[in-house]
Formats: sequence, C-alpha cells, structure tokens
Amino acid sequence: MDVVVCLKQVVDPELPVRDFAVDPGTQRQVREGRPLVISTYDENALEVALQLKDASGARVRVLTLGPQQAVSEAIRLALAMGADEAVVVDDPRAPELSGPEKARTLAAAIRRIGPADLILTGCESADWADRVVAPLLAEDLGAACVTFVSRIERWDGAPVVRRLVEDGHHLVEVRLPAVLSVTSDDSNRPRLPKVKDIMAAKRKPVHAWSPADLTRSSASDPGAGVEVRGVVVPERTSRCEFLTGEPADQVAALAQRLRDQKLL
Amino acid sequence: MAVLLSDEHRMIQAMVREFATRELLPIAADLDQHSQFPREAVERAADLGLLGMTVPEDYGGAGMDPLAYVVAQEELARACAGFQTIVTVNNSLVCEPILRWGSEAQKQRYLPDLASGRRLGCYCLTEPSAGSDAMSLRTTAALRDGQWRLSGTKVFVTNGAEADLCLVYARSEPEAGARGLSAFLVEKSFPGLSVGKIEKKLGIRCSSTTEIVLDDCRVPGENLLGERGQGGRIALATLDGGRIGIAAQALGIARACLEETAAYVQQRQQFGKAIGEFQAVRWALADMATRLEAARLLTYRAAALRGGGRPCTREAATAKLFASETAMWAAHKAVQLFGGYGYTQDYPVERYFRDAKITEIYEGTSEIQRLVISRHLLARS
Repeated sequence: MDVVVCLKQVVDPELPVRDFAVDPGTQRQVREGRPLVISTYDENALEVALQLKDASGARVRVLTLGPQQAVSEAIRLALAMGADEAVVVDDPRAPELSGPEKARTLAAAIRRIGPADLILTGCESADWADRVVAPLLAEDLGAACVTFVSRIERWDGAPVVRRLVEDGHHLVEVRLPAVLSVTSDDSNRPRLPKVKDIMAAKRKPVHAWSPADLTRSSASDPGAGVEVRGVVVPERTSRCEFLTGEPADQVAALAQRLRDQKLL
Repeated sequence: MAVLLSDEHRMIQAMVREFATRELLPIAADLDQHSQFPREAVERAADLGLLGMTVPEDYGGAGMDPLAYVVAQEELARACAGFQTIVTVNNSLVCEPILRWGSEAQKQRYLPDLASGRRLGCYCLTEPSAGSDAMSLRTTAALRDGQWRLSGTKVFVTNGAEADLCLVYARSEPEAGARGLSAFLVEKSFPGLSVGKIEKKLGIRCSSTTEIVLDDCRVPGENLLGERGQGGRIALATLDGGRIGIAAQALGIARACLEETAAYVQQRQQFGKAIGEFQAVRWALADMATRLEAARLLTYRAAALRGGGRPCTREAATAKLFASETAMWAAHKAVQLFGGYGYTQDYPVERYFRDAKITEIYEGTSEIQRLVISRHLLARS
C-alpha cells in the first residue's frame, strides 16, 4: 500500500501577532526571518498515515512544494516522525501560488511518484485556509475524496474512514485511490520523533524535482482560480463604555448589549 | 547560541521541548507536592530515546553526542528539575561508565535495558561519612569462591527506590583512598541488598533519594566493573559527565526563572504601570539572561570537549560551578521579583528556588568544584 501525504510549510502560527506582516508587493505573508513549521492539520494527516504504516506496513511518502531550502526542516521532521521518503518540488514561487495552482502541481507530482492508494492532506492550511487542495487533487487524479477525516476505521476489505461533521461523525466507505483531507482529533495527535529516528532521517531519500519535470493535466486548467486584491492585518481596537443609571437599568442595558453582540 | 548546534541538535531540542511541555509542565507542581515518581513520563521519555541518549544504537541507545544530551537535559529541567534528575543519573552515572569500562557481556546485558527504560539505574558512591571526601568510603567488598560480598551503607542515592541496577563503589583492596576501590554492577534482586531510609527533601522531590543497604550482598564475580582497584578512577571520570548533566539541569532551572519572571513583570501592575517598566527590574532580567547564556556556553564547551574525547575535568567543573550558582542566583531574583506571590506555591518560582539549591551540592559541592578548578590552575603554573 502506498500513501502520499502532502505537507505545506507555513510561518509558525503560534508566533506573536507583532511578527505577522504582509508584503505589499506580493500580497503574501512575509516569511523571511520567521520560523517555518509544518501546517497544523498536515501534521495530523501525517500521523494518520503513520498509524496506517504501523498497522499495515504502508509505505509513506511526503510531498511538498519548495523552495527546497525553506522546506528542508519540515521534510526532516516528517522523515524523523517515520515517513519513508520525501519528494520536494523545488519551486521558489510556491508560497505565492493559489490553491488551484498548487493542486495541479501536486497532482502532477503524485502521478510521477507512481500509483498511490491514498493521498492525505490537512483539511486546511494554517495560513490561507482555502480548503480547496484536497477536492481539486481528487478531481485532477480521478480519485475519490472525503474531507474532514479524523481516522481510518478499517483498512482490510473495503476501507472505512471516520468523517467528522458538526453533530457527530459519519463512517464512509471509500474506493481507492482516494484523497482524504484530515482534521484534528485525539486519535491523530502528531507523534514526537524519537532521538534515533532524528538521526536516521538524514539517511532517508529526499528527491528534488523541478516544476519543469512535471506534466500537469491540461484538462480543465482553472488557472490561478483566484485573484488576491489585497490582504490586511486586522486592527485590534477596544472601546470601553460605562453604563449609567440605576443598577436594574444597567443590568437591562448590559443584557441588551450582550444580545446585540450575539453573546447571549 | 544556535550557531553551535547542528540541525539534529535543534530537532532534538524542539522534540524534547514539546515532550516537556506536553508531559511534564502540567504535572510538575503536583509531582513536587506529593513527592511522586513520574513513572509514565519516564516510560514515555524512554520510548523517545531520552534514557540512553549517548549509548550507541548497537546497545539500544540513541547514539547521540554529549552536546545533544546537554540540550535535551536543559529542556527537561526547564519543565521539571526532579524529572531531569531521574534521567541524568541513568544516562551519565550508570550508562556512561558501563559504556566506557564495562565488558562486552556487561554492555549487552545492561545497556539495552537501561536505554529502553526496562531497568532504571542508580549510583551508589556517597556514604554517611564519605561525601565530599568520597574516596574515604568504607563499604567493603571481599571475594570468596568467585563471588563478591559487599557490606556497607550508601546514602543520598538518586533513583534508589525505583532503580533496578545499582553501580556500587566498595573497598576491595587493602590500599587506602582511591586505589583501594572497585566498582560493581549490583542488581536490586541480588540477595543482601535493601532500600533503607527514603529522604524527605527540599527540592527535586519527584525523584527518590534513599539509602541503599548492603548486608553481605552477593555479587557474581563477572559483575565487577572494570578492573579490581579501578573504582576510584571510574568514579572520578564518571563525575565529569555527571557534572555536565547537572550544569544542564541548572541551565533549565535558570531559564525557567528567567522566562517566568519575564512574563510576570509584564503583567504585574504597581504604581500604575507594569513592574517591567522599572529600570531596576529590567536590569535584573538582563543580568539573568546574561549569566544564563554565559553558563550555557560553558556547559556546551564542556560537552563538546567530552564529545571529542578530550579531557574536560576542569571545564566540566567550571560549567557546573557557574551554572549551578547562576540557577540559585536566578531563583533568588525570581522569587524577589514575584514578591509575596513568589513565596507561595501558586507560582512556580518557589519550586525553582527549592530545586536550584541541590545543583550547588550534588555531583560535588561548589566548594569541591573550586578545589578541582584551582588544582588544575596550580598544577599548570
């Protein structure tokens, strides 16, 4: 069984707000000088894949879009956690690509990697949160797609996955190949790499491909699909209002304010 | 500081920091309060490879260098100094001497278990009348019919209550001082070994500190570590590594003091502003950071020398002396800046203050470190 996990490297979402900046030229988040990490849900996707590897000996490859220099840490971490090999599509423009463009490139890379039974992605990236890559990948590859999967319930026979929905979960039988977008859950908390696996990760294969090496599907090329007109950092303001009058009036006024804000 | 660390070191640092944040920080205060041994966390640390970090992979360890070890120990101690004590004793006082002095059979028999957490190690050197003057110890070892018989009482044995394997020093030869000593690998189950008094301590309370009583304890001949009469040498060489581990512990405690204090002074308001706005407070933080970084560099240097197989007795003593006094000083500052709150158990600096003190005492007191350092200085001049 072959599993490909698509990993995106993003600026650490835990960074304080003051370190967040937008490049006015590209209208993208400034990445230089900021620590990059694997996007949150992608780590959950990797964990689901590694659990499948533990249970059934699946081969797990991770795939990411470059620039290679910037993704090496994420790749090393994924290999240390237990992935078998890595493919980097070394594209310096990667951070500026739209979701649909990324999906096409990833699909082309997956075709070149070879037949995969499962392709896993995070359900959304920690920066743009477009949520489009998994469905577009499935479309491009002619694969089934299930979104917001938390775990693989059954693998032998017809695979069954658990899909989280607002009021519970669905159990979905999937045909292969399939693209699953993974959300977080107690069952897929990313494991920590072991010390010896951190060392062993150095010896695992990392393939670097150029975007020119890949054949994108020509059918239904959506282009960028989106145009980013502007990105702004929301300004945080606070305002303090004193309610006056008798205590009973103040309470009534406060309750009304809270209702207006939909907090009650 | 990061320039001294390789990619692997930084990955290990990130991993151990995450482990400590997830598994140790939430329970550290409770473990301290109840003097409770963190068995599950020790098992998880073993699974990650933190119990035999410098043991080669052939013996089930992680095969890392002493610098990686130091980086990891600082992270553990940042969250819970008592937990780090448990880990550092197993690594540097038990695994290391077996690795360096043990026979192939001893390495095969004990290292994989120690590195995987199936057995925990403890180090039995100190006696009631032999502390700083360790080489005057009185526990005896007599060889009869190919079997050693050990008698005496060891005190202040870290991990004594839970350990399965004890590295015991005893007087086997008629010569006085270090030359009369031998080292033995004594399994807890060997007849004649028992755990005596369990100490109630000021700090590092989740690690046990006990007496180990040897009453004509029978030890197979093959469990002699190194040669007869080599015990003193083994003990002193082992202490170099042990001191680096304690220096790393002190770094963790000092960093905890700095980070908690930096956060607190930004939110604590007095006289209409955050106390971090006052210059006296800012300077205290700057001094804490400066001493911490100096201590870290000294510790990294000692670890790098040891990793390169070079002598590091003086450098290890220097790092341990400076780092432990930095930890105690930083804890003192932290409690002071927290004021009354710092004196309560509602904030963690009270625990750091109690934990810091031991770093100036064990693995050689600060006075002994000064003795070691000055001995090197005078020998050279």
